[in-house]
Amino acid sequence: MGLIELAAAKALASSAVFLFITLLMMASAKRISTCIVLFSIQSAIMAAEILAMAYAGKSVGAYIVAALVIAVKVVAIPYALFRIMKDLKASQDVASSTTGAQSVFMMAGLILLSFFAVAPYAKTLRLDEDLLAAAVALLLAGAFLMVSRKKALMQVIGLLVLENGIFVAALTTTYGMPLVIEIGIFFDLLMGVFLMGLFVFRIRDTFEHLDVSKLRRLRG
Amino acid sequence: MNLAIDVIQALLLVAIAPLVSGVIARAKARMQNRRGASLWRPYADLLKLFRKQDLVPDTACGLFRLTPAILFAVTVTAAAFVPVLHPSAIFGMSGDFILLVYLLAIGRFFLMLGAMDGGSSFGGIGASREALVSALAEAPLLLALISVAILSHAVSLSGMVLCTVQQYPFHLSAVYVFALGALVLVAIAETGRIPVDNPSTHLELTMIHEAMMLEYSGPSLALIEWASAIKLTLIMALLIGVFVPWGMATSASITALAIAPFVFVLKLTALAIAVAVIESSIAKLRMYLVPDFLGMASALAILAVAFTALMR
Amino acid sequence: MIVAGFCFWRGDGLALDLSRLTPFPFALTVDRLSAFFLLLICAVGAPVALFSSSYVERHYSGAKADSMWLLLPLFLLSMVLVVTASTAFAFLFGWELMTLLSAGLILIDGDSERRRHNIFIYLLMMHAGAAAVIASFLLFLPHASSLDFTSMRAAAASMPAGLRTAIFLLSFVGFGTKAGIVPFHLWLPKAHPIAPSPVSALMSGVMLKTAIYGFVRFTFDFLGGGPIWWGYLVLLAGAVTGLLGILYALTEHDLKLLLAYSSVENIGIIYLGLGAALVFMANNAWAWAMVALVAALLHALNHALFKSLLFLGAGAVSDAAHTLDIELLGGLLKRMRVTGTAFLVGCCSIIGLPLFNGFVGEWMMLRSFVAGSELPAISCAIILPLMAGVLALIGGIAVACFAKVFGIAFLGRPRSLAAEQATEVAASMQVAMTLLAASCVMIGIMPGMMVSPLTVVARELLHTPTLPNAALSISHTLPLIAACVGVLMIVVAGFRRIKRVTPTWACGLPALDSRMQYSSAAFSKPLRKTFSRVYEADRTVDVLYANQPYFPKSILYRSVRTTSFERSLYRPAVDAIVNMATRLRKLQTGNMQVYLLYIFLALIALLIFMRFA
Repeated sequence: MGLIELAAAKALASSAVFLFITLLMMASAKRISTCIVLFSIQSAIMAAEILAMAYAGKSVGAYIVAALVIAVKVVAIPYALFRIMKDLKASQDVASSTTGAQSVFMMAGLILLSFFAVAPYAKTLRLDEDLLAAAVALLLAGAFLMVSRKKALMQVIGLLVLENGIFVAALTTTYGMPLVIEIGIFFDLLMGVFLMGLFVFRIRDTFEHLDVSKLRRLRG
Repeated sequence: MNLAIDVIQALLLVAIAPLVSGVIARAKARMQNRRGASLWRPYADLLKLFRKQDLVPDTACGLFRLTPAILFAVTVTAAAFVPVLHPSAIFGMSGDFILLVYLLAIGRFFLMLGAMDGGSSFGGIGASREALVSALAEAPLLLALISVAILSHAVSLSGMVLCTVQQYPFHLSAVYVFALGALVLVAIAETGRIPVDNPSTHLELTMIHEAMMLEYSGPSLALIEWASAIKLTLIMALLIGVFVPWGMATSASITALAIAPFVFVLKLTALAIAVAVIESSIAKLRMYLVPDFLGMASALAILAVAFTALMR
Repeated sequence: MIVAGFCFWRGDGLALDLSRLTPFPFALTVDRLSAFFLLLICAVGAPVALFSSSYVERHYSGAKADSMWLLLPLFLLSMVLVVTASTAFAFLFGWELMTLLSAGLILIDGDSERRRHNIFIYLLMMHAGAAAVIASFLLFLPHASSLDFTSMRAAAASMPAGLRTAIFLLSFVGFGTKAGIVPFHLWLPKAHPIAPSPVSALMSGVMLKTAIYGFVRFTFDFLGGGPIWWGYLVLLAGAVTGLLGILYALTEHDLKLLLAYSSVENIGIIYLGLGAALVFMANNAWAWAMVALVAALLHALNHALFKSLLFLGAGAVSDAAHTLDIELLGGLLKRMRVTGTAFLVGCCSIIGLPLFNGFVGEWMMLRSFVAGSELPAISCAIILPLMAGVLALIGGIAVACFAKVFGIAFLGRPRSLAAEQATEVAASMQVAMTLLAASCVMIGIMPGMMVSPLTVVARELLHTPTLPNAALSISHTLPLIAACVGVLMIVVAGFRRIKRVTPTWACGLPALDSRMQYSSAAFSKPLRKTFSRVYEADRTVDVLYANQPYFPKSILYRSVRTTSFERSLYRPAVDAIVNMATRLRKLQTGNMQVYLLYIFLALIALLIFMRFA
């Protein structure tokens, strides 16, 4: 095999580790644009995975899904998020309630927990343990980001990472869902992001800020 | 023959250390749009200092004058551990990374004591901050090296390098990425570069390493500066040897031995320029944010160790 | 000492049976493990005795000096009794004697209200621990024919698992109280600082090791290892003890209190090694279990040596400068060269720098932790290397702590008149300290002479014929490193350069005085702030304002640290016990007829019980 193919094979075999690295970098990121770029890189890694499966399984559907992932998750949604940020003129600061080291430690703990949780299933179902653990870790990381970051845009990014996790889980267990379902999910996601964008403007206009920890009028 | 190469590579590390500082300084100057001083300026500095008088504060006792000698001796001995030209060194087989890390700790401890011997506030500043940084940096350093040692099934440095050299670059385990991340962060802390410490600052309030050598002058200062340059070079050589050792002479043939120095110098220059780029692009951290920085290194190192078992 | 050396290096056992003289069986045996600890006791006891010869002269007179000289050798003898006992009675006799004699020695130094309070807590916790130890001995009774060690060893093999677990837990708690494991360490910082310095050295250096001896005897000799959770428990205890001990030591500025907390930390390190050995034993990796055990025992010896050196140094310092508060010391190295150099050797050893003895034990422990990754069980393969990280963190903070101690107490400018006028202490004290320092350096450079006999000890304890592996190669490397460093130093320091003494540069100010130096609180501030969750100081700031708002008359800042254990563990427990006792007090009404009623009720209960039993 040529050098490039060897590199590609190795990169794909360790894509789980690259996903973990993006998670750790997201935990320690201090600016929202860093998180958006990292999300786009995550989606690119997933697209590479799907392309590899498409090449190995020779299925046209998988190629279309890969193209969709690249179009929507790697290009469209990050672009939309950047536009929203520019129009909002919001500050780049990720208002986090934990310090950098604490976030990274908790993320590391979540990664180890996901390995621990996935171990019995991977053995019995003969799945790729690393990728399944990566999927669970992405899920938990998305939830963690939503819980610990106070900016509304970070909630959106947390949700997107969570959805990434579900996607990777589907990849490992079923080697790609049927094409129709994939397209449905994508449109759902796109609509969701645009709605979020609209709402973010409304929140800012009503409350003059985007700090969700201050949105506490709904109390008993 | 092997021993001759080992001695040559230890001497190479010691001799080339000021040049590495010169390269980093020149690269930083170029990034700031200046022409920068000559690459050989640190050698001129050392020569100048060796010819000067040694000033000793009146509160100091023998420990003050002994510290530069201890620091230099220990750092040069540590340089004899690291494989540079071929995967073995003078103490490469018999010594291991634990001994290396703790040898460097000897130098650091005596430097802290020498700083407090001066009897001024600046020595105390430097010593207490250095105590903070070194206390928190030791665990990630050891854990990251332990993860590499576990993967290579060898505790000696030459064993670790040999294991990496013999593998194809793309067959390396993913644990190396975590270990590399942790080691880069710790190396920045250990060698006192931005963002942890500014090696060329004049403000005492921002000093860590500089404050400890503030009272030294003449040959003592030359020895301390040379020792810190050797420490920087040996940590860079360690990183190169453990993570990208291809190009080292794995056989005893003349061509391999002739190519090895050039490849090493190339890698060292690339790493020096990378250090300069990092130093010029990031601001120095406030001191109470340094534990945060080292906490990230610890998390990466813990993950590296955990992954050696999880990805078996 | 001769007996100890003979038995340790040659390996023959000696036995002495005094059963005919005493009502309970009382026999002494010296097997290899006992010989090692006997060597430890004597190696520390001899310099301490030398030290006390001039220390007692200068500090006590008349009756006090006499009682000191009576109790000190008896104290040593009681410790010898503990490690050489081969029946339970002899062991417990020596155990109780140790406690009482050390309390007596502390009492000689004065009995103010505070001291009596501290001694009371010491005796209370020691007796609680002794109760646990007695219970663990007695649990052997159903299976063992008599309470001597050989029959206990034979009986342990056939005991059910539940009984073995009970014995293990009881001995862990009992010996842990004596050794100073973290929930039970409260007596250590109260008792060690108030004792006279030679007694502190003996207590910290040797008495804690008798607890280690007891624990090793029980767990490795009698019970022969157990399920893996025993090892995890000991590892956890060791990690927590080590970390908390050194964190508390970092913030102290009373020299003896700091050294007491540092003893807690080192006991934690020894327990880390013992825990690793237990984990290896549970996984049938006997070679590495041997290495871990050797590392723990070697660290026990090293700690005995350098901790007693440090305590003797503290005694010399208090002798010369009349204070132990390092905030009032400074510049002592210039005025007390021998003491200062010996103290420096002690500091380097306790930190674990190579070429000093502390490094050897820690190195072996780190190697065994790294080897833990080869075990098949994933949890062991992750936890053991991570413990190496804990050990590295403990060592890093220890460097900071002892750099502070030596830098502030011995270097720089004197911070008080007494420190400025300090002079070197008496010759015998200097000789004692130099002996200990020399032994530290010797073991540091040539550890082989201690390591090889210890491997035989471990081999006997673990009953494995497996040969030790290359992990013990440090004995060959260290002399080479020492030679290398020595040669380089001579080369570099040999170049004689012109030296000129000048006043320290003070940025143009006329002169520096001693208050411009760093103080101990300032030195430890960065680390204190990083670990502020552990300390949780109660801070009060009282500001007394004058007429102008920005220039108050006085500001009073108080920061009181009660160790979090006192607050969260002990006080609630003590309060609960006192509450229960108060409620039970109602049973004692003082009325005669109520007491008769109790007897009557007991009789009825017995009859019913006999009917249904």
